[in-house]
Amino acid sequence: MLNNLLSNYRSVAGLALVLLAVVLLEVFEVRDKIYPSIFPFFEWLKYSSWIGYLGTTYGSVYATVQAGHLVSMAVIGGTVLITDLRLLGVVLRDVPSETITQGTYKCFKVSLIVVVATGIFCAAGVADKVYYMPVFWVKMLALLVGSCFMFFIKQPLLNSRPHNEIEPWTLRILAVASIFVWFTVAATGRWIGFS
Amino acid sequence: MINELLLEFARSLEAQEYSQMLVSGYYSWNWLEATHVLTLMVSIGSLFIIDFRMLGWMLPTVPASKIAERLHKPMIIGFVIMFITGIALVYAKPVENVQSLWFRIKMLLLLLAFINAWVFNARLKAADGSWDADRVAPKPLRTGAIISLCLWFGVVAMGRFIPYDWVDCPKVTNTTLLWASGCVDQLNAL
Repeated sequence: MLNNLLSNYRSVAGLALVLLAVVLLEVFEVRDKIYPSIFPFFEWLKYSSWIGYLGTTYGSVYATVQAGHLVSMAVIGGTVLITDLRLLGVVLRDVPSETITQGTYKCFKVSLIVVVATGIFCAAGVADKVYYMPVFWVKMLALLVGSCFMFFIKQPLLNSRPHNEIEPWTLRILAVASIFVWFTVAATGRWIGFS
Repeated sequence: MINELLLEFARSLEAQEYSQMLVSGYYSWNWLEATHVLTLMVSIGSLFIIDFRMLGWMLPTVPASKIAERLHKPMIIGFVIMFITGIALVYAKPVENVQSLWFRIKMLLLLLAFINAWVFNARLKAADGSWDADRVAPKPLRTGAIISLCLWFGVVAMGRFIPYDWVDCPKVTNTTLLWASGCVDQLNAL
């Protein structure tokens, strides 16, 4: 039975283990011990890496990469919205939700890669500042949760069977959770600028 | 002449109580700016999906006119919120924006993007869906989609440039740049 459960819910079990690991890290105060030791990396990122040099020396390059970050985030938002609003039955009701889910997935992955790459560049330019910002770490956590949710829960579930065989409420919860988590990623990203 | 009129109008706006309230309130300004930026995900997100479909990069099996038609509403809702918050942001700092070269380029790109959208829509209607099931749209529509992607990237980039002070009036000596930025006082002082 355990084997059967593990084979059916491998992704969910994997994610549960990751979450458990995060909780254990917090409970045993491992994060508090690791946190100061990663500061030299942030300093290196800003003062010694070439991306940190580019970001701090050429403001126009930094602002252009920031624009790329925003636009790719907008594309992620677009793909998430079209997929989730379709799952909720709000838009494109006459197009099978399987078509929308599969058709937007590649674009989502490419945009996520661009978001992460441009995000690293943007963070490198202000690395010693973002290190001390709780909202930066909340964003990183939200990004991790969003990516894990997408790659280990949402997409495997939506690809596992025709959507009409999935409980409608499961689809709705999946869609609302997805919108919520990606909105959190974008909103916390914006809040970094205000902190 | 136009620069003087714009500056005079901006100064009259800046003197208003609501303008000062918007800029001085930490949360009012931040919420406005955050809403303006976050609505990008709805407006530009939807627009880029339409453009990507025209280029055959996304959902090639779904009729292009259907994507354009169905995403029109969320896209317009996003743009309306973006414009309302955008106008409020300009109202909060009118003089700074009127004398910003980046803001002026952004407005120009916005105008071009709207002309492009209008031409694109006219072409879409004229095409009458004859190519609808094709993987990629006809060349004129693909060109329109690429122009749209470039113009909107430019709009976002100029929006990001606005807070930087590289070409702010006190730092510029070139008369063409001063004129283009609307630095009336600096031009008069020359």
